[in-house]
Amino acid sequence: MNELDISTILASAIHESKNRIGTLLYHTHTIKNHKEMDTDIDQTVDTIENILKQLNDEWVEYLYLYKLSTNGYNIQYETLNVSEFLDDQVFVLSSTAISKNLTLDFRCKDGLFATFDERLITSAISTTIYNSFRFAKKTITITAEMHENFLVFSIEDDGPGFENDEHDDFLFSQNTGLGLYFCDLSAQSHIINDTSGYITKGKSDLLNGACLKIFLPQ
Amino acid sequence: MIDFSTKKAILIEDMAEARILQKKMLTDFGFKSIDIAMKAESAIELLRNNSYDLILSDYNLGNGKDGQQLLEEVRCSALIPNTSTYLMVTAETSIEMVMGAIEYQPDGYITKPFSQALLQRRLLKLLENKEKLKNINIALDTKNYDVAIQECRITIEKYPFLQGKCNRIIGECYIALEEYDKAKKLYSKELKKQKMPWSLFGLAKTHLLLKEYAAAETKLKQLMLDNKFFVNAYDWLAKCLIAQGRHTEAQAVLIDALERSPKSILRQIELGRLSLDLKDYHLAEISFRRAVFLAKHSCFNSSDIYLNHLRAIVGIASQQELLPRQKESFKSTLKKVEVFLSESIETNTAAHEIKVQLYLNQNDKINATDAFSLWEDDFKSGAASQPYNEIKEQLSL
Repeated sequence: MNELDISTILASAIHESKNRIGTLLYHTHTIKNHKEMDTDIDQTVDTIENILKQLNDEWVEYLYLYKLSTNGYNIQYETLNVSEFLDDQVFVLSSTAISKNLTLDFRCKDGLFATFDERLITSAISTTIYNSFRFAKKTITITAEMHENFLVFSIEDDGPGFENDEHDDFLFSQNTGLGLYFCDLSAQSHIINDTSGYITKGKSDLLNGACLKIFLPQ
Repeated sequence: MIDFSTKKAILIEDMAEARILQKKMLTDFGFKSIDIAMKAESAIELLRNNSYDLILSDYNLGNGKDGQQLLEEVRCSALIPNTSTYLMVTAETSIEMVMGAIEYQPDGYITKPFSQALLQRRLLKLLENKEKLKNINIALDTKNYDVAIQECRITIEKYPFLQGKCNRIIGECYIALEEYDKAKKLYSKELKKQKMPWSLFGLAKTHLLLKEYAAAETKLKQLMLDNKFFVNAYDWLAKCLIAQGRHTEAQAVLIDALERSPKSILRQIELGRLSLDLKDYHLAEISFRRAVFLAKHSCFNSSDIYLNHLRAIVGIASQQELLPRQKESFKSTLKKVEVFLSESIETNTAAHEIKVQLYLNQNDKINATDAFSLWEDDFKSGAASQPYNEIKEQLSL
């Protein structure tokens, strides 16, 4: 993947956040005029909450992205119970998934332990799932397994997949943002005995949509 | 399932909005007893007088100490038992500081902003794990390190996922028991399995304790290279250099560490002492002045900090005329040390000596003689030791 300079990252980040704020303003407008518009306020508040959460997650991602691309990030390895880790990821994103009528689940063998930077990978997985939220029809699945000396996270959906739409052209395409670039940098920053992590994108065998794999050396 | 209603919690948060929200969350979970502190200093008072099952503290606590320093102080001085749970609330920008403190880490952390559901989940998991480690922590609190090691082994059998945590505790127990060879073996073995900072740090520490200075130095420097936030590695590298008589190098390392994390009182004291030894009175004065500032409301508050600050100024006076602000500084610290004077004869004696020496260094014989006679009065009433002969000679009495 080509290296992006920091001003491109910043411009793209601001571009995305601005879109998000536009949507928020639209929703607050709805609340203001709820009497005439006959809207369900609780639902609108939930939506606003989800958007704010996503905005927060994205800003966290941008901060990490800034640090990663300026060599200012110190990776913090921790040994984690992978299924507990994925349970956490699904848990925090489940309310957004429910509001979009999507099923989000994970598959992982019990007792699988792996070493990686929890916060960085949390951010990488959530950015991938936010992306899948836009394309999936019904289902998104995260799978974790060991493959040779790598821990592999696969994030799959039943949407149209990477090949034939803007999934592919990630930069500056509407909403898709810097996600893949960030995932790539996050994976690459994991280095064990001179082996770095990496990502691959392709077609999902499980759900026929997009499949992003994050490989982390162990 | 953990029953929160029987647990006692303390919430430490400087921002009113967050405090109100988090208190409501804890109340909703069932906590009946929740104490509140707005900053680290008032938290210390509460922690001194009460025991809590849960400490929920923000990292950022305004102008005073931050959450990490609070944690280090209360853990180091055993103000809170190992059985209580410390959950740190951090922002994305502060997490590195928390993770970088390899010696004292919170039991868990949660990044802001978080939902009620997420906090509940974290707390449940943390307290459940704490329950599994309970026997180990009780043994640690009573300093029964042999028992703690046994309990760790039992826990590993029962809950293999706690292996890393337990091995780390076993290593610390070996060090506490001064069984350094065993500690070294354990850390080397862990390090071969996986390069975790705590095992590398533990190994470096054991090398140092076994007086294998070169090996300790290499490992500590490796840690510093791996992560610039591992400030504890700097402290231990300084210890390692001091042990080898390389005081000036140690001083440079501590200065570097303090630039990264200036609010650590123990580090300021260490640099101050080292600088006194090196007769670098200016640096000693700065370090102890900062330590005096930090000592208020600290578990490490002791008369030594104040006396050493005064000694540093006395040292400066032996080299040059004191500036007005240095004289002011002397007066103000002297006032602060007064509360300690009645507590021991040594402290009172030291304070007398410092006062006389300061006048002597300023060639002010009249005041020096006055100060000396006050010392003699205290000696006669039994409040101080006998004035030293060499001082008598300097006064030509």
